[in-house]
Amino acid sequence: MTREEIYKALDEVFEEVFDDESIHVTDTTTAEDIEDWDSLEHINLVVAIENRFGIKFNMSEVTSMKNVGEMVDIILERQ
Amino acid sequence: MNRFSIKELEIGHEESFVFELDERKVKQFLMITNDINPLHNDLEFAREKGYSEKVVYGMLTASALSTLAGVYLPGEKSLIHSVEVNFVKPVFLSRCPLTVVGKVTEKDDRFSRITIKFTIIDKMDEKVSRGTMKIGFLE
Repeated sequence: MTREEIYKALDEVFEEVFDDESIHVTDTTTAEDIEDWDSLEHINLVVAIENRFGIKFNMSEVTSMKNVGEMVDIILERQ
Repeated sequence: MNRFSIKELEIGHEESFVFELDERKVKQFLMITNDINPLHNDLEFAREKGYSEKVVYGMLTASALSTLAGVYLPGEKSLIHSVEVNFVKPVFLSRCPLTVVGKVTEKDDRFSRITIKFTIIDKMDEKVSRGTMKIGFLE
């Protein structure tokens, strides 16, 4: 998948997890930008992204990712 | 009370218990919630709507999920994250007690969280509700 395709798929995952079809994520999107992105939804989001892309983040990745861009970098590496 | 840690639980682990309900508990639920809906409190009304007796509050039966997580699976270390419940059949007191069954279907050590699929079954072996719970663990 290209970076653009990953973002398109990520939009769908975010829309489903946060039940909000208006969400469009970018490299700089963080939890500050999405109202319901709290610690519980973060777990749901990570698991949903893993299921969508067939990958597993390790714990240090989960805690160190600062924005969606860093998440996409990892997804691109794992393909 | 069970005291399972996440390490002690494997996918497929199952726990079950019997959940007793009676008229007194239905009235106590009414007092707590102030849900005065006649389907649960007025036999005539329930019969008019096609039920043989008053329908037990679905949320009262769902309160058994607190016990499922907090006492049985995983028990003492339980921290309920979310509950999704489908009320598939009405519950009647004449068909109580209910049996609550929970089974671990997912386990994530990174987040110390398990997913449980549960079913609640009445005395006639009819499934009255089913759903999923996501449960974390106290340190």
